[in-house]
Amino acid sequence: MEGFLIFAISILTLAFVYVILCLALNIECGVAGMWDLGIVSYFGVGAYSYAIIVAPEAASYQHYLFGLESNPIYGIVLAIILGGVSAYLIGLPSLRLRREYFLITTIAFSEVLRITFSNENWLTNGVAGIYNIEQPLKSYFSPDNYIVLLFVIFLCFSVIVYKMVNKLSFSTYGLSLKALRENEALAKTARIEPSKQYHSVYVFTGCLAGFSGALYVWLNTLIVPTQFTPNVTFFVWTALIIGGIGNNRGAFLGAIFFVILLETLSFLNLSAELALVVSSLRIALVGLALILILRYLPNGLLREKPTVL
Amino acid sequence: MLTVTNVDKFYGGVKAVENVSLEVNKGKIIGLIGTNGAGKTTLFNVISGFDKLDRGSVNFDGQEISNLLPSKIANLGMIRTFQTATGFPRLTVLENLLVFSENNNFEFYKNFLNKNEQNKEQIEKAENLLKKFGLFEKKNQWVVDLSAPELKILEFARAIMGNPQIMLLDEPAAGVNPALLEQLMEIIQELNGEGITFLIVDHNLRFICDISDFIYVMNDGKLIAQGKPDEIVNNELVIETYIGK
Ligand SMILES: Nc1ncnc2c1ncn2[C@@H]1O[C@H](COP(=O)(O)OP(=O)(O)OP(=O)(O)O)[C@@H](O)[C@H]1O
Ligand SMILES: [Mg+2]
Repeated sequence: MEGFLIFAISILTLAFVYVILCLALNIECGVAGMWDLGIVSYFGVGAYSYAIIVAPEAASYQHYLFGLESNPIYGIVLAIILGGVSAYLIGLPSLRLRREYFLITTIAFSEVLRITFSNENWLTNGVAGIYNIEQPLKSYFSPDNYIVLLFVIFLCFSVIVYKMVNKLSFSTYGLSLKALRENEALAKTARIEPSKQYHSVYVFTGCLAGFSGALYVWLNTLIVPTQFTPNVTFFVWTALIIGGIGNNRGAFLGAIFFVILLETLSFLNLSAELALVVSSLRIALVGLALILILRYLPNGLLREKPTVL
Repeated sequence: MLTVTNVDKFYGGVKAVENVSLEVNKGKIIGLIGTNGAGKTTLFNVISGFDKLDRGSVNFDGQEISNLLPSKIANLGMIRTFQTATGFPRLTVLENLLVFSENNNFEFYKNFLNKNEQNKEQIEKAENLLKKFGLFEKKNQWVVDLSAPELKILEFARAIMGNPQIMLLDEPAAGVNPALLEQLMEIIQELNGEGITFLIVDHNLRFICDISDFIYVMNDGKLIAQGKPDEIVNNELVIETYIGK
């Protein structure tokens, strides 16, 4: 297959991982108005859950728990469950807090988790990470075909998540989240119990982020703690703001737009020194895109849609 | 229907509400007046569960409600309004009503599993209410773009959606021009005719006297008088606090 095509397909496949994260963030922050800066937490939990279950047994110079070489389906299911469980647990203290305090707590927890991933050698093989995690179904396909297969599978996953999130956003449940976002006291008089709604949406977000973490490892075949810095959180936020906060289609497009923007520069055939400069410019470019979008399209590419028209 | 007994609410050293007892009978319109800082809003907060009381009890339909969450109290059929009416600013007018629909189920798993179509009946009810109150043309506009009088009217439409038994109104007449006040009074009386009970806080003595069956007067956290409107306007203590000696 042509190099460019493979490259484009790979980028889009990665983008679908971000699409799921972005949709998760959208129902939590765009719809429910919760200022979460810790979405990478559940992404990381999901990724590690998948990794330690699906990876082969640790070699003599490595340490990590399990290494069961089990069916990736179990890895994905575990990632979803543990993503949700960790969100539930972290939600217990942090969801009592409002706005900026919630924001600080969530970012702090995400750093605590990242440092845990780096330091708990027995669990995660520490900073060295876990390598050679076999990709499901790989042996049945030629490398080129497998790239296409991954693209199709990840596309399906992200469309399913889109449908699910979209259905919830426009349900009575979604309406209650929007009401809480707009006026919590008034929402209570409409029989909505805030803590219940916040907890459920937070756990749901955790499950989705955990899911996308599993896909991320599937795609990369390796996992290291530096993949789970707050940068991921900021990337997802940027993608969501570009796409249009509150709009699920916007979240979808924003993530794809963002990943293309971020990855395209690495495609340029540059000298080593120049490549270094350009790769550090990537972030600056993302910042520039964000500023331009906010300047000319304050609602992002797509605006939030009302529940009923 | 609603019985408040010996309620105290203190904020630090401030006795916002002190030993207040009152009774709201089914089908009545009860007024509550008092000067700024008299404790009227605090009393509302206590009744509707937004503040925990320090002493006393609140009984609604034979049930003690002073330890219930606001959402639970609302679920029993009590709806309150707030002194500053903003609604849900960035939801549409129609959405603002639908949040209050009587048979909403907000459970996550119900909405996740079931095929949820917006309840046609409730949308129709909301649209009819909007037509009745002259807001139908604006149904797809954000509430933040409404004028102040439209917001006042919307408050009633919202409350009616929830089919309440009792409405607690915090200063519905504040900042309202005479024509609108007339309209609001008509709405209140019509709803009352349909069986909804009212407890209304306001500064506007004329308005409260015109509309209420019975009036309580608060000052400095305490009840200082109660009676029929004509008794209240002739009560010396009330005249003293309102007009001065
Ligand atoms: N959250 C609070 N913390 C501290 N003090 C409060 C609080 N809420 C009210 N107060 C005090 O309690 C007293 C009663 O206030 P409240 O708002 O109930 O009066 P009100 O009768 O509604 O007045 P207004 O007519 O101005 O609305 C005031 O002295 C007020 O300063
Ligand atoms: Mg008040």
